[in-house]
Amino acid sequence: MADLATLREAVIRGDALAAVAAARATLESGITPVDIVTQGISPAMGEVGRLFEEGEYFVPELLIAARATKEIFQILRPLLAQSGIKPRGHVVLGTVQGDLHDIGKNLVAAMLEGGGFEVTDLGVDVPPEKFIAAVQDKQPQIVGLSALLTTTLPAMKGAIDALRTAGIRDRVKIMVGGAPVTKTYADSIGADGYGENAAASVDLACRLVNA
Amino acid sequence: MTDQEWNTLVSVVRGETLRPVPTGFIIDSPWLPKWAGHTILDYFTSEQTFLEDNLKAIRTFQQTIFLPGFWSEYGMCTEPSAFGAVSMWEENEFPFAKKVLRSPADVEHLEKPDPRKHGLLPFVIKRLKHLQPEIEKAGHRIRFAVARGPLNIATFLMGTTEFLTALKTDPELMHRLLTITTDYLVDWIAYQRECFPSIDGILLLDDIVGFVSRRDCETFALPYLKRAFSADVTVKFFHNDAPCKACAPLLPEAGVNFLNFGIQHTLSEMRTWTGNTISLLGNIPPRDVLASGTPADVKRSVTDMLNALEDRSRLMVSCGGGMPPDVPTENIQALISTVRELTN
Repeated sequence: MADLATLREAVIRGDALAAVAAARATLESGITPVDIVTQGISPAMGEVGRLFEEGEYFVPELLIAARATKEIFQILRPLLAQSGIKPRGHVVLGTVQGDLHDIGKNLVAAMLEGGGFEVTDLGVDVPPEKFIAAVQDKQPQIVGLSALLTTTLPAMKGAIDALRTAGIRDRVKIMVGGAPVTKTYADSIGADGYGENAAASVDLACRLVNA
Repeated sequence: MTDQEWNTLVSVVRGETLRPVPTGFIIDSPWLPKWAGHTILDYFTSEQTFLEDNLKAIRTFQQTIFLPGFWSEYGMCTEPSAFGAVSMWEENEFPFAKKVLRSPADVEHLEKPDPRKHGLLPFVIKRLKHLQPEIEKAGHRIRFAVARGPLNIATFLMGTTEFLTALKTDPELMHRLLTITTDYLVDWIAYQRECFPSIDGILLLDDIVGFVSRRDCETFALPYLKRAFSADVTVKFFHNDAPCKACAPLLPEAGVNFLNFGIQHTLSEMRTWTGNTISLLGNIPPRDVLASGTPADVKRSVTDMLNALEDRSRLMVSCGGGMPPDVPTENIQALISTVRELTN
């Protein structure tokens, strides 16, 4: 398992090149893609999250760790699909309509992927209809809504209301987050969960799907 | 800002304990137009609406100070527009500037804009020039040069995710980018001061400084903030409502002497981290209390905050950040009257 340790260290350092090299080496040594996720990427991103929570890591460190993870998943995704391995859950994620900020959403996507979730990223400025279509087409367990602006907070409620009007609100759990979002606000708009930061999103998603 | 308000602000910055403790709020397009009954786009495009809305706020809340005073702005588009960033406008949303840098390497081709000619900057100046007689007739003067900070402008040009990632992957190019944004800021501040000799303060808004570690702050923020605040003015006012424990100890060295910060930290913590050398503007929760609470909630929050504070020098009570949308008149009145009642 020495190569997995190398991979974990590379992810924690945010060294994408070393992480990819380590991922290839582990695959060649016969370690399965699932083990790379569960024993390599997930604990590494967990450590990154812990360092962030403790104030040792900041957003840039999180971003480069996420970037390293993303690069590894480029290699692993087809292999995981071939082997029929199921992710812990499927999250459809987007920044709500009117808001073009992507940093929170990107961080959450990376943390969730690192935590073994499948993520469908709808991007920024996502209208409610697009969330509805994604829930119908992709059948996720969770919809994640992100916002950075106080003016776009109402669009979070708009997206939840639209899912309700479309009759599909109860098919998914909804998690919300972003700089202006608070637990009080999340409760007031009928979200199922509020993530205070990207590092907390994996635990939250696990709770929401009981994974 | 009237002479009396300015003198109050300067007293706070100099460390005096005032009775009652003054209150003040950063007000701009997120709150003011809607409160005054106009759309954001009308506020930006009509000089008359801009003037009337500001005067309405000043006359409604006569016992507080609006900072930085008459603030001509076009939201997040003001500074990036001079680099050629496309500005996107909605009737009632914040404007948004599209990125101009597709990759860190594009910094090589970025040119420093001329604040006298480029983007929306001449419009900012002309709006204030056109309204200056009316502003002065109302007893106010233009006291602050205002701009987004060097890191914040860099994120508008390249995207927040991309900029913060590139601090790690392409540090030299990011230093080049920050040198350009800072040179531009220095010119822009100088031009504002040239146009309005009554300016004796600088307000920089830069939340991005709060996203990085102390080491990165020392490397990528401090030298540039120092230069941006280098002009010889009395009040050096910084707004950062992101978590700022890491950067707070560096702010005195950056020249900051008045700080508006978020609700992640208490006034006492911030005092400790800044060595009690910076006067504070804060920090009632802007959204959960000031916007969504009742006047009784506001009163409770203000009372708790003031009771937790033994030393009330270097303080102007406000919310932790700028005034958010939908704050009702009665909540602002509740904040002002509670502070006066408790500190008179």
